[in-house]
Amino acid sequence: MTDARKRSLRRELEAIVGRDGVLSDPEELLVYESDGLTLFRALADFVVFPRSAEDVAAIVRLANREALPFVARGAGTGLSGGCLPSEGGVVISLMRMNRVLEVDYDNQIAVVEPGLVNLHLSWAVGPKGYYYAPDPSSQQACTIGGNIANNSGGPHTLKYGVTTNHVLGLEVVLPDGEIAWLGGRTRDALGYDLAGVFVGSEGTFGVATKVVVRILRKPQAVKTVLAVFDEITQASEAVSAVIARGLVPAAMEMIDQLTIQAVEDAFGCGYPRDAAAALLIEVDGLAAGMESQVERIVAACREAGAREVRAARDEAERQLLWKGRKSAFGAYGRVSPAYMVMDGVIPRTRLPYVLNRVNQIVEAHGLRVGNVFHAGDGNLHPNILYDPRVPGEEARVVAAGAEIMRVCAEVGGSISGEHGIGLEKADFMPFIFSAADLEFMRRLKDAFNPGGLCNPGKIFPTKKSCVEVGPVAHRPHAIEEKGLAQRF
Amino acid sequence: MADAILETLRGVVGPANLLTDVELSPYVVDGRTPKAAVFPGSIDEVSAVLALANDASIPVTPWGGGTGVGVGAPAARLGVVLGLRRLSRLIEHEPGDLTATVEAGATMEALQVALAARGQWLSLDPPDAHVATVGGVLSANAAGPRRHLYGTARDLLIGVTVVCADGAIVHGGGKVVKNVAGYDLPKLFVGAFGSLGVIVEATVKLRPTPDVEILVAARFGSLKDCGLAARAVTASDLLPSALDLVDGEAAAALGLDGERPALVAGFDGLAEQVRWQRAEFARLCEEAGGREVRDLPAATWAVLPVAARRALAEPAAVMRFSVLPARVAEVVERAGATARDVGLRAAFSAHVGVGAIVGALAGPRDAAEPVAAALRDWREAAHAGGGHATLEAAALAVKELIPVWDQPGAAFRMMQRIKRQLDPKGILNAGRFVGGM
Ligand SMILES: Cc1cc2nc3c(=O)[nH]c(=O)nc-3n(C[C@H](O)[C@H](O)[C@H](O)COP(=O)(O)OP(=O)(O)OC[C@H]3O[C@@H](n4cnc5c(N)ncnc54)[C@H](O)[C@@H]3O)c2cc1C
Repeated sequence: MTDARKRSLRRELEAIVGRDGVLSDPEELLVYESDGLTLFRALADFVVFPRSAEDVAAIVRLANREALPFVARGAGTGLSGGCLPSEGGVVISLMRMNRVLEVDYDNQIAVVEPGLVNLHLSWAVGPKGYYYAPDPSSQQACTIGGNIANNSGGPHTLKYGVTTNHVLGLEVVLPDGEIAWLGGRTRDALGYDLAGVFVGSEGTFGVATKVVVRILRKPQAVKTVLAVFDEITQASEAVSAVIARGLVPAAMEMIDQLTIQAVEDAFGCGYPRDAAAALLIEVDGLAAGMESQVERIVAACREAGAREVRAARDEAERQLLWKGRKSAFGAYGRVSPAYMVMDGVIPRTRLPYVLNRVNQIVEAHGLRVGNVFHAGDGNLHPNILYDPRVPGEEARVVAAGAEIMRVCAEVGGSISGEHGIGLEKADFMPFIFSAADLEFMRRLKDAFNPGGLCNPGKIFPTKKSCVEVGPVAHRPHAIEEKGLAQRF
Repeated sequence: MADAILETLRGVVGPANLLTDVELSPYVVDGRTPKAAVFPGSIDEVSAVLALANDASIPVTPWGGGTGVGVGAPAARLGVVLGLRRLSRLIEHEPGDLTATVEAGATMEALQVALAARGQWLSLDPPDAHVATVGGVLSANAAGPRRHLYGTARDLLIGVTVVCADGAIVHGGGKVVKNVAGYDLPKLFVGAFGSLGVIVEATVKLRPTPDVEILVAARFGSLKDCGLAARAVTASDLLPSALDLVDGEAAAALGLDGERPALVAGFDGLAEQVRWQRAEFARLCEEAGGREVRDLPAATWAVLPVAARRALAEPAAVMRFSVLPARVAEVVERAGATARDVGLRAAFSAHVGVGAIVGALAGPRDAAEPVAAALRDWREAAHAGGGHATLEAAALAVKELIPVWDQPGAAFRMMQRIKRQLDPKGILNAGRFVGGM
């Protein structure tokens, strides 16, 4: 872009969002060159900070007139490069649109702006006994808009579902700059379920500017159980055994030995260091029957070979157990200079086989892996530890990651459970989708985004891209440095 | 339709699976008779039928059990009815994964029976389960009382195989309960009434069969009190699996005498959970003026979604409202008053916690005008309740006076673009869906 064009575009953008709402200085733009996956980098021409849907619409119309690509950005905690301006152009940051606009307790819905931080919504409705259920581990930083785009999940997804199960309607600025409501405040869509189709579209169908979400009553009671195993296969089998007893826990998380040891070295949360794996199982809901549910879980775990099963006696002990689960990332930092998190899904009955394969693959590449993941959903997060200073190591991590994705695909699973395809996995889409499937998705995309200016280069493989790909020293995301979140 | 095409279709599905002429009487919709009905025996045959129809620009009406085929604007031509009943296998059920993959032509009842044998169920309970097929239920976004806790098809469908208008076979989603790879295609087909593609296979999330399940009713002196009780329940710690509000007429269809509104709640889970909830429900209802709390037989579950319809011998029209949950009682109150004003009987039942109301209107079959007048006001009542309404069933004469679908607003442009992208010749349920798509 010529300097003259850049200056004139800047003036036009300033006319929309004000002088303090536009960044175009390369130094300042650098902050926005990556998301949580620092493997990829791309520089925008502008980063703009709108305050309203009308601002966003004006920016999008300008981008269309100038044939400039544009992409929405929330907190930039994504882990697949989804919000990168991979072909340059305008980054539309939603961080100034972060209000809770309305809470309707009678109808158990809230209307919020997309830049609202996930956890802040639960804070807003907490005093009246409500919360927003989807709880990504990044919830202290990530935004509702980013959650919508990636259809984010969290540990409690097992019982409560992912973002899409909690979104009723969206006001969006479509890729051509028109504003439309998709869905609304009532449960059933009129016509096609466009809100449902928009959620999970990774920012390629437009920019969400208002969101109607469901809020839930906080459960009356919660119980958390720790089950300890001498063999990882036993832990995997226990996952299915719990389900087979007719229980749907709120969460069922697995932590392997490498991770337990790292966590215990760092924080001492009460996990036995010699265990091959532990399961953290939480049930919530009515106080009545809570004890018998715990009994069923204990029995299922014992039958699968658990050497120890105990329920947290009080809230302090429960928090400590969750701290162990949630501080795994910080703990990896102590045993390795860097790590990369993988995200794949498998039918949960295939856990014993797949965990074995994951370990074999990583070992074959001369690397180490820690597993800590949403076992109840079969959502794996192998964390491959490596040293970015060693030439070639990052490339081996990427190669191992691709093999792990293949295994997920082979057993009938998926290449992403919550982090999305973005730039990272566009080339893996054929592992699970046929040419006809992808062609159908392209046609759907063309209905929303016919010019292709809205978040180009994502989901589908593309040649035209100015993305830089590692090797680059791993940098923890800012929110991790501040100790605000863990990576899974 | 040219005889040559009919012959080719016969060749694809075999002579026994193609109906013509007088055999077509069960497939008449809004007074229109199709040219033929075909029943393919495989996904490839479905694909071949659609490719042929698309080439010749012949409209296709996908047909599951036929329970929802009447929903829609009258078609200009019906073309070919594409029956899915021969695709009815349960392909895979892995209890440890809480998932199952089933062909679209299986009835809901057959599926539930097979799942129950292994201690699980699909938490979707639309009416007419012995006839309604999986594909039809998903396409119509049909649900029942248990949607209160367990959601609707959009929450349960995790993977789908669809045959597109041009015959292409496309898979969306997958077999795993959590999956964000690619666009969420299952959402596109839920509630699309077969207008974007024909669902041939579905993968769904399952739940374990609960130990105990009960249905309890409390009676109220007014709809208003009944609505207030419903709000007290949703704002409490209770986790009912169902919460239905019925007016006096619909209450009678449930076997409750005395012409008074009722709040009906379902509870499931462990015995002690159910016991505690029943007691708490009774207490909350009594606080709101409820009386005569009593258990209902298990058979009543299946009547709940059709209670309004059953209350009237032969309803002239059935309207489905989607409104804000807290507005249900006032919408029912107003719509009932309108019906009385024009001298027609009406009955209402609602999944009150999710704002889904069914209103049925009795009326002289030959006098469409008063029926349409009442329906116009019902639709306004839906709008006043923050929602919209669909005319689910009515005589052709009524459909000519009042549109079947509400206006989707600015999103309609996007819907039209999707329809054009995916069914460019407009052969799938041509002209019957929202806005004439
Ligand atoms: C430490 C850590 C832990 C994490 N844990 C989890 C987890 O437990 N579960 C999980 O699912 N994910 C997790 N993630 C990934 C990430 O936090 C989620 O994907 C999150 O939803 C991204 O939100 P964001 O606001 O940061 O979005 P960004 O990264 O800014 O953007 C993500 C995508 O959303 C699009 N987007 C943003 N706003 C809008 C909008 N208003 N309209 C349309 N599109 C928009 C972008 O274009 C991009 O495609 C984690 C990430 C980190 C760094």
